[in-house]
Amino acid sequence: MKTKRRKFSFSNLAIYIILSAMSVVWIMPILWLIMTSFRGEPGAWTPYIFPKEYTVANYTRLFTETGLFNYPRWFINTLIVAVFTCVISTILVLMTSYTLSRLRFRGRKGIMNIGLILGMFPGFMSMIAIYFILKAMGLSQSLTALVLVYSGAAGLGYFIAKGFFDTIPRVLDEAAIVDGANQNTIFWRIILPLSKPIVVYTVLMSFIAPWVDFIFVSVIMKDNYNNYTIALGLYQMITRENIYRYFTQFCAGAVLIAIPITILFIYMQKYYVEGVTGGAVKG
Amino acid sequence: MRKILAIILTLAMFGAVLAGCKKEPETITLKVWGSQEDQAMLQEMIDAFKTAHTDANYVITLGVVSEADAKTKVLEDPAAAADVFQFANDQIVDLVNAGALYEVTRNKADIIAANMEGSIEASTVNDKLYAYPSTADNGYFMYYDKSVFSAEDVKSLDTMLTVADAAGKKVFMDVSNGWYIASFFLGAGGKLTVGEDGKQVCDFNNANGVKAGEAIKAFTAHNAFLAGDDAVLTGGIGTTIAAGVSGTWNAEAISEKLGENYAATKLPEFNMGGTQAQMSSFAGFKLVGVSSQTQAPVAAMELAEWLTNEENQIKRFETRQMGPANINAANSEEVKANVALAALAEQNQHAVSQKEVLGGYWVPAEAFGTAMEAKDYSKTIQEMLDEMVAQIQG
Amino acid sequence: MRFIKNYFMTFAAGDIITKISYLIMGAGCFLRGQIIKGLLFLFLQASFIVYLFNFGLGQLKLLPTLGTATRVEVWNEELQIYEYVQGDNSMLILLFSVMTIIIILAFLVIYHLNIKTAYNNQLTKERGGKLNNMIRDIRSLFDSNLHVTFLTLPTIGVVTFTILPLIFMILIAFTNYDQSHQPPGNLFTWVGLENFRNIFWNDPLQARTFVGILQWTLIWAFFATFSNYILGMILALMINKKGIRLKKLWRTIFVMTIAVPQFVSLMLMSRLLADQGAMNVLLGYLGIGPIQFLTNALYARITVIVVNIWVGVPYTMLITSGILMNIPADLYESARIDGANPVKTFTRITLPYMLFVTTPYLITQFVGNINNFNVIYLLTGGGPLSLDYYQAGKTDLLVTWLYKLTVNNQDYNLASAIGIIIFAISAAMSLIVYNMSSSTKKEETFQ
Repeated sequence: MKTKRRKFSFSNLAIYIILSAMSVVWIMPILWLIMTSFRGEPGAWTPYIFPKEYTVANYTRLFTETGLFNYPRWFINTLIVAVFTCVISTILVLMTSYTLSRLRFRGRKGIMNIGLILGMFPGFMSMIAIYFILKAMGLSQSLTALVLVYSGAAGLGYFIAKGFFDTIPRVLDEAAIVDGANQNTIFWRIILPLSKPIVVYTVLMSFIAPWVDFIFVSVIMKDNYNNYTIALGLYQMITRENIYRYFTQFCAGAVLIAIPITILFIYMQKYYVEGVTGGAVKG
Repeated sequence: MRKILAIILTLAMFGAVLAGCKKEPETITLKVWGSQEDQAMLQEMIDAFKTAHTDANYVITLGVVSEADAKTKVLEDPAAAADVFQFANDQIVDLVNAGALYEVTRNKADIIAANMEGSIEASTVNDKLYAYPSTADNGYFMYYDKSVFSAEDVKSLDTMLTVADAAGKKVFMDVSNGWYIASFFLGAGGKLTVGEDGKQVCDFNNANGVKAGEAIKAFTAHNAFLAGDDAVLTGGIGTTIAAGVSGTWNAEAISEKLGENYAATKLPEFNMGGTQAQMSSFAGFKLVGVSSQTQAPVAAMELAEWLTNEENQIKRFETRQMGPANINAANSEEVKANVALAALAEQNQHAVSQKEVLGGYWVPAEAFGTAMEAKDYSKTIQEMLDEMVAQIQG
Repeated sequence: MRFIKNYFMTFAAGDIITKISYLIMGAGCFLRGQIIKGLLFLFLQASFIVYLFNFGLGQLKLLPTLGTATRVEVWNEELQIYEYVQGDNSMLILLFSVMTIIIILAFLVIYHLNIKTAYNNQLTKERGGKLNNMIRDIRSLFDSNLHVTFLTLPTIGVVTFTILPLIFMILIAFTNYDQSHQPPGNLFTWVGLENFRNIFWNDPLQARTFVGILQWTLIWAFFATFSNYILGMILALMINKKGIRLKKLWRTIFVMTIAVPQFVSLMLMSRLLADQGAMNVLLGYLGIGPIQFLTNALYARITVIVVNIWVGVPYTMLITSGILMNIPADLYESARIDGANPVKTFTRITLPYMLFVTTPYLITQFVGNINNFNVIYLLTGGGPLSLDYYQAGKTDLLVTWLYKLTVNNQDYNLASAIGIIIFAISAAMSLIVYNMSSSTKKEETFQ
């Protein structure tokens, strides 16, 4: 990347102003969350905005007082589930979307339409049925069950990735076939390296799901407190009996979840910029 | 030949005697559900149970499901439910309807004699006892700031509002919540029952109901009225808020905030078209039930009874400040000295059972409360209550 | 019908080995030397038969009634308790019947494949050709039949976790599974179309609520989708514009809002915007009276859309910046050579390209918003509740309404009926849009 000194541009100035204004709006609730997580006074509501005293106890207590809320354990559970979910989902999504985008076979349109319709089904309505299916498979209340729930039907999310594959020029495939590659090699050697943005997108989206879902996990885990994920665990902190004492810890817990995800995003960002722009389209 | 037979016989007899002597105690596996905050306490109770019952080898595990979630979790999959679980009394009808609870028949008379009438009533459906009362603290009453109100002031809602307004403070109540708002209608003599056909019957739109509705309107329109949720109450009490309606779960937070000005009492009287009427409330209990799908009903019942006996109800009070449903325990000096529990006991004399409140009640009642809080007077109280009752009755 | 016709014609034309494989699966393979393939078929057939007779048929037999045995209680005088003999569980019968039917259908597909393979093998032999060995079969799965390999796993996942529950849910709408018919203590049974009649005709309040909520659901989905799309794209264009510095920083700021779990950020928002919330405290400092962000019907509707922009724009920004960077540079190059100005470049190249690529995304978003449970439920809980509606509030979507119906009233049948209606609406709409949209018609334009 070469950086040339550019002339002062009026439109760029306007953009900087708009971006700054938007950033303030977007970042404010986050700042409030962070501020609350350092608040010394307990309670979910205060009649004033800025805390009277600040403390890091909300963070340290998450890790030292694990008798009631085992935050570290939930954190690890969630991490395990998230890693497996994102690997499986990504594979399923990429296989489905690549097949539907670039391979030609009988019934392709039909499958696409069926997939389109099925993706519309509100997932949480089927929770109970899914629970009993998993129970019949002997998997209830386990982390494996949770991974399957989050990634099992991932193939239905093929749209966005298919849209992306549609834009990769076909000449690349043809050239590879001339070189003697089979369809499988084309996928792995040619298409996948070009598809970093969409891979990254899929990875991120599926990685996040386990951190934020609290409905499915409560149906699957029931009373198995040790297998709770972080979202469900945090939710226990804000029940009627606990919210006064644990609200600030709840905020601290939420901040700690946000950190790895933010880092992941920042790290993955470079693929957006470098991975694609220099890509195959030049040829 | 005979010799051999004799040896075999002797051996067989010997073996039988040996087996008889060595008779392994039966292993009984039970699971208990309680809230996360109760786990340590429940574990102690269970250990004591095991020590007291050596007839069998008990393997008792604990799972975390709070009283509030018990119904949802049990009904999701009754076969996976714990053998013994704690739940809030408003769930009992649904649990019984789904056939999830084991009828209590062993030592029934003793259980009925030991616990408060209201708690037994709350554990009974269709004249059958289905649960063991464990606490009597799931209701609401009034917390107030002694530096603002005198003991006389808190007897009347109107006086409270005037005094609070003069002091520049607020009286808090979550009016947009069917649980709290019912205190006006029930106090005005309203009835919420289940009819012959299993549908909800409600008369909150009769003449007295309208008077209660007008009282709610006057209350919410008053300058000193403040609405919100628990967080607003616990956050503001002592500074902006001088009194608020809530339950024992906030006792610790509120006493901490108010310090020596901490006080609690029954709900006040309200102005019902010129006469003063005592605000009512829903009486709330926490119960322990036995799953109808348990493999060891006798042991499960023994454990449930154990968890709710006098000794353990006192333990609940001592470790977690939970008000006992057991008559002896409730009459102890320590319990009576607890400000919040004393206020609740006082309010419970005016309370109504929540058992006959069906699921369809909450949303319309909340809708009415929301309209009042938003000061939406586009319809008359009579019209709104007619609509509310029509919806409640489904 | 073609299948059935083929079925008999193949039988007639088949030799003895092909005919055997009608009864013993895989015979057409292992008798002709394809041992592994043949044994695989045989194994599938055996497991299917074991499943069917041990479990499946028992469930199917109960499907017409959904169970008849209710729970029996017997008094045990010695122990002083009732002993319960558990009856049938209608819900499990329904679920496992659906599962069995799906397994039967899957088996029929494999059975059909077995016959086809046997017959093809026969024809190949007759022509004197050589049969594929295992290695060549596998090799074809990675080349000409790659679609089979790639779609198998996703299909199994979708069938288990979407199709099976979906059919189950659809069938519930035709039963009386409600408050007074809850398993396992009670049985429920088929009632035909009664639940739909209740929604549309029998109860004017329910009908009125349905129409009101449906309208708002569509309005919400429209605004929520397009406000996010347009603002997200503008944001991405601004950040990606040449000459804008600190691209990474800007993106990170917006991405941070994704990183905070939605249930936390939405709960915070609802606290911030409550009547006593921080926003109103702040406005109070500025001398602006409290605004009922969440308790006034109209304000609450605007609030949820605005908060949804806050929630959704970072996602749109991410997806669109990915695509923006993927626009072939030579398209821009040729446009520049033709002397097009920036606006023209945008309308001629960027926009059509974006629309082409993102139509599927838009559809998913639109439908996702129709079913946007989280934002509504966590932010307003559907409120402000209204007496005009049956058990619902002014920001309730159809999904949140049906969720409340199941949680508060255990009306699973009614909820399923509403679920089917939502599903039908979104499916029809997206099928039409998707098949009319340029992105399918010109699927290969940019390839």
